Amino acid sequence: MTAALKAWRDMPTILAVAIALVAVQVVVAVAAPLLAPWDPLYQDVVARLSGPSWAHPLGTDRFGRDVLSRILYGYRSSFLIAFAAVAGSLLIGGTLGLLAAYYRGWTDRIVSRLMDVLFAFPIILLAIGIIGVLGPGTFSTMLAIGIVYTPIFARTVRGPALVLREAEFVTAIRSVGAVDARIIVHHIVPNLVGVILVQTSLLMSAAILVEASLSFLGLGTQPPTPSLGLMLVEGRNFLALAPWDSIFSGLAILFAAFGFNFLGDCLRDQLDPRLRD
Amino acid sequence: MRKTLTLAAVTAAASTAAAAQTIDVGTTASPVGLDPHVATAFSTKLITDAVYEGLTAIDTDLRVIPSLATDWSVSEDGRTYTFTLRDGVTFHDGTAFAADDVVASIERVLDPDTGSPQASRLELIETVEAVDDATVQIVLESPSAPLLGHLANIAIMSKDFLDAGGDPQQTPAGTGPFRLERWVPDTALELVAHAEYWEDGLPRAEALTYHIVPETATLQLGLRSGAYDLLPTADIASVVSLEGQPGIETLSTQELSYGLIGFNAAEPPFDDARVREAFNYALDRQQLVDVVLFGRGQPGAPLSPALVDWAMPGDSFACLTRDVDAAQALLAEAGYADGVEVTINVLGILPQIVDLAQVVQAQVAEAGFDVTLNVQERGEFIQDWRNSNFTAFASLNGGSIDPDGTFYRTFRSGGSTNVFQYADDAVDRLLDEARIGTDPVARKAAYDELQGLLACTGPIAFLTFADLHALTRDGVEGFALHPTRDMRALRTTAVPAD
Amino acid sequence: MPAGLRLITQRLIDLLFILFGVSILTFLMIRLIPGDAVQIMLGANAEITPERVEALRAQVGLDRPLVEQYFVWIGDLLTGQFGTSLWTGRPVIEEIGAAAVVTLELSLLALALAIVVAVPLGCLAAYARASWLDVVVRVVTVAGITIPSFWLGIVLLLIVFAVAPGMQTFGYVPFVEDPLGNLQIMALPVLSVALPIVANLVRMVRTAMLDSLGQDYVRTARAKGVGESRVVLVHALRAALVPVVTSIGILTGYLLAGSIVVEKVFTLPGLGRLVVGAIEERNYPLLQTSILLVTATFVLINFLVDILYTVIDPRIRR
Repeated sequence: MTAALKAWRDMPTILAVAIALVAVQVVVAVAAPLLAPWDPLYQDVVARLSGPSWAHPLGTDRFGRDVLSRILYGYRSSFLIAFAAVAGSLLIGGTLGLLAAYYRGWTDRIVSRLMDVLFAFPIILLAIGIIGVLGPGTFSTMLAIGIVYTPIFARTVRGPALVLREAEFVTAIRSVGAVDARIIVHHIVPNLVGVILVQTSLLMSAAILVEASLSFLGLGTQPPTPSLGLMLVEGRNFLALAPWDSIFSGLAILFAAFGFNFLGDCLRDQLDPRLRD
Repeated sequence: MRKTLTLAAVTAAASTAAAAQTIDVGTTASPVGLDPHVATAFSTKLITDAVYEGLTAIDTDLRVIPSLATDWSVSEDGRTYTFTLRDGVTFHDGTAFAADDVVASIERVLDPDTGSPQASRLELIETVEAVDDATVQIVLESPSAPLLGHLANIAIMSKDFLDAGGDPQQTPAGTGPFRLERWVPDTALELVAHAEYWEDGLPRAEALTYHIVPETATLQLGLRSGAYDLLPTADIASVVSLEGQPGIETLSTQELSYGLIGFNAAEPPFDDARVREAFNYALDRQQLVDVVLFGRGQPGAPLSPALVDWAMPGDSFACLTRDVDAAQALLAEAGYADGVEVTINVLGILPQIVDLAQVVQAQVAEAGFDVTLNVQERGEFIQDWRNSNFTAFASLNGGSIDPDGTFYRTFRSGGSTNVFQYADDAVDRLLDEARIGTDPVARKAAYDELQGLLACTGPIAFLTFADLHALTRDGVEGFALHPTRDMRALRTTAVPAD
Repeated sequence: MPAGLRLITQRLIDLLFILFGVSILTFLMIRLIPGDAVQIMLGANAEITPERVEALRAQVGLDRPLVEQYFVWIGDLLTGQFGTSLWTGRPVIEEIGAAAVVTLELSLLALALAIVVAVPLGCLAAYARASWLDVVVRVVTVAGITIPSFWLGIVLLLIVFAVAPGMQTFGYVPFVEDPLGNLQIMALPVLSVALPIVANLVRMVRTAMLDSLGQDYVRTARAKGVGESRVVLVHALRAALVPVVTSIGILTGYLLAGSIVVEKVFTLPGLGRLVVGAIEERNYPLLQTSILLVTATFVLINFLVDILYTVIDPRIRR
């Protein structure tokens, strides 16, 4: 407890701000159903395409659906997609990277080549291809982003793990006869937490943007599910009449991606001794 | 007198100068091949309409008029059609148009190796032969009232071109007012006026360029800034956004195509006619028109009100007016008192359909239909549609000027687009009768009865007939929208000097 | 340098393996996309019998077994035959070439703009480390990275339309036909693509500068009494440019991702639209070859950067 308190006190202000920012966003995303004043699918047809008012603080879309509620739910689904994709790719990519680094030899060669092939594709191109196969939709988007990020995590983990494997304290433990699994879990992984945190945070931000791009191309979340990227697309044809959903959902995407990127950026500075003040 | 003459000369010169212009058309989709016998997607038809012509044409009042045939006669028994062909028509490749070309084109459509979807419209043709260079005779197995209308859509190609192994998918060779000059994929198709076009003074424009612009918002800005002269199929968002803006004109007409929910009549729950009827009762068609179409259109019914000679008004059928209680009662009767879950496949490339589906979803929920929308990419949708792999789907169907054109293939058991697996003996009998009947009164009676049978318990819930809109820059003249989306009017279109 | 040569040979073998894997994955991915070219051609309400559909499939070569189709494709590629586009009938390579020119121009202009803007900003941020200026630059750059480029594109279009409605903003013209018009049309797309790159580069330059400012040779230069601005400009900046050059590989990915969506907004006939359009139309020959070529280029760039990295990084050279 005191250690945690001390860590918080010693933290640079900017990192604290970043953490707080992301925390607030996560709370908003999780609590979206409690915060949203309307059902995001409810069509208040009479009040459609109207500007901000007391009833609809951010206006309504072309079916009279409440923009604020849709943005809150869209926030939630953006976060959910990004989180599931990043968590999945971390789990699979990270594990593969660790095993490759620890066992070297054929394991490493096979894993690395497979990851190289996936990594060879430009991210957006591979994601478009995967969604082409699976058909557009929320789950496809999650899976596509997850697959695209898997080699990134494998690479992120493999490099430092290779170094750690040869580190003195690891060879020492191994000579005492510790089991591989124990060495990996208790001695290597804890030393990778920093790198992983930075990468996770940056990829969360990138995943939110990729999801929005895919929805923009018509490949991501499908109507009527609220999604930030989709709202932006649907609203832009009505920009002249009622720009509310386009403008606010664009800002929401920016805000959501900003938090995680900022956090990752600050964490990277914090963990890289060269950059620390 | 002299002065007047000079003035007239000046005006004529000015109008010639004005005509020496390019019509810049903005459209969202690239054509998928240019062979009108094979590629039936609208993105292709938009272009081939300017390049090809049929024996007949259809005017904006939906009457059959002469085109490459100047005249025709029908034998007493209604089975032999004799066409007199237009003189002095030249193909884009320089060859002269003659009876052989008509025979070659019709035979190409009928040839199974061509794989033409238009073949089913001509399947009653027994023989087609050139009597002489300017006369073609078509003999039918049985009389067919809709034949003349169908022929308007059968593009006439050059026999020499086909014999030489030319591929119409890439190099169109028609007789139409414009000739394809250059195709820059994903960017533009550039056409120039056909110098030897048969009608003097046409086409009025010197060139025609289709700009492929996938973004509606960009199209809107392009029209306002003058980059495009004409958006021939403007979406409703563009229309309500741009209407009334200085420098923009809106054209509209009633369209034959209709938004629909199609049911799988061979699978629960929609195999039960009561569930289909309940769905109809649960819909508020006027609200669909008001919300999705911004009031520009008509509530759905079996036939478009544009077909004044055939269509029965929507209020002739009780189930086309919303009645949630009736819907719930029917559902309960069918064994779904606690509601029923259904998934609707939605054709994702059409914003109007995606919008309709979302409002339908909200409407029918009140009657107990718990709808999940499965918005699909085009290829996936078409595959499921063709394989009858759906519970229900939302899509847009094209209409035809004779009820037979859509009714037969859609509702006849075994019909080529009866993907619903719908089979009803009474419907089949009436469709067969009306198809070969030549007495207009008897046909009208048969189609009235059919509309009654199909409105409430047919395999389709007719949602809306959207008005068709075009947006033009001020000063674009001579263009007219056509209820069948025919683009023939491009030949009379002129654009102002820039 | 036999060691270096061995490294390059090893990497070349890897490269071939990767390209082989990429070709299989590309081919499979494309064939697994539901709904084929023939269905798209017929549209969503075509009246046609299954026999006729089969006839059409045979016409476009879709009736042969998958494995055969793959080997025919690869065999043709290896002998320099890239095939013809399904719809236009033009050689695939011509269509890809035309689109590549657009994307390349967009990318290079965006990259150039990004470098010009980002390098001074990054130096400034590094030099003013931990001051309010550093914080401002950081917040702005992070925001820049996270702006959705398509949103930015639409907003820019609207702004330009409001301010200068006469400015030509769409309808692509090749540079060789009308250089001025081309640049005018490219201005907004370049800006939309460049912004996230600027932001990324600023971060990289800043990090690299901080790194090199702490290096011995910079300290030595300072101790020798070299002027502060000269230390920054000559010694530190030169070292800092190394990671910038070597991150071109990563930036290529960003550039391509940005181009794909921005091309859609501004209707530029580039690779992004080519690929997305080819998927929509199931134009298999065009699609598989363009994905393969784009990916191969991407891989090659990364390969060259890797080699370059070992050659120019002073620390590795030592």
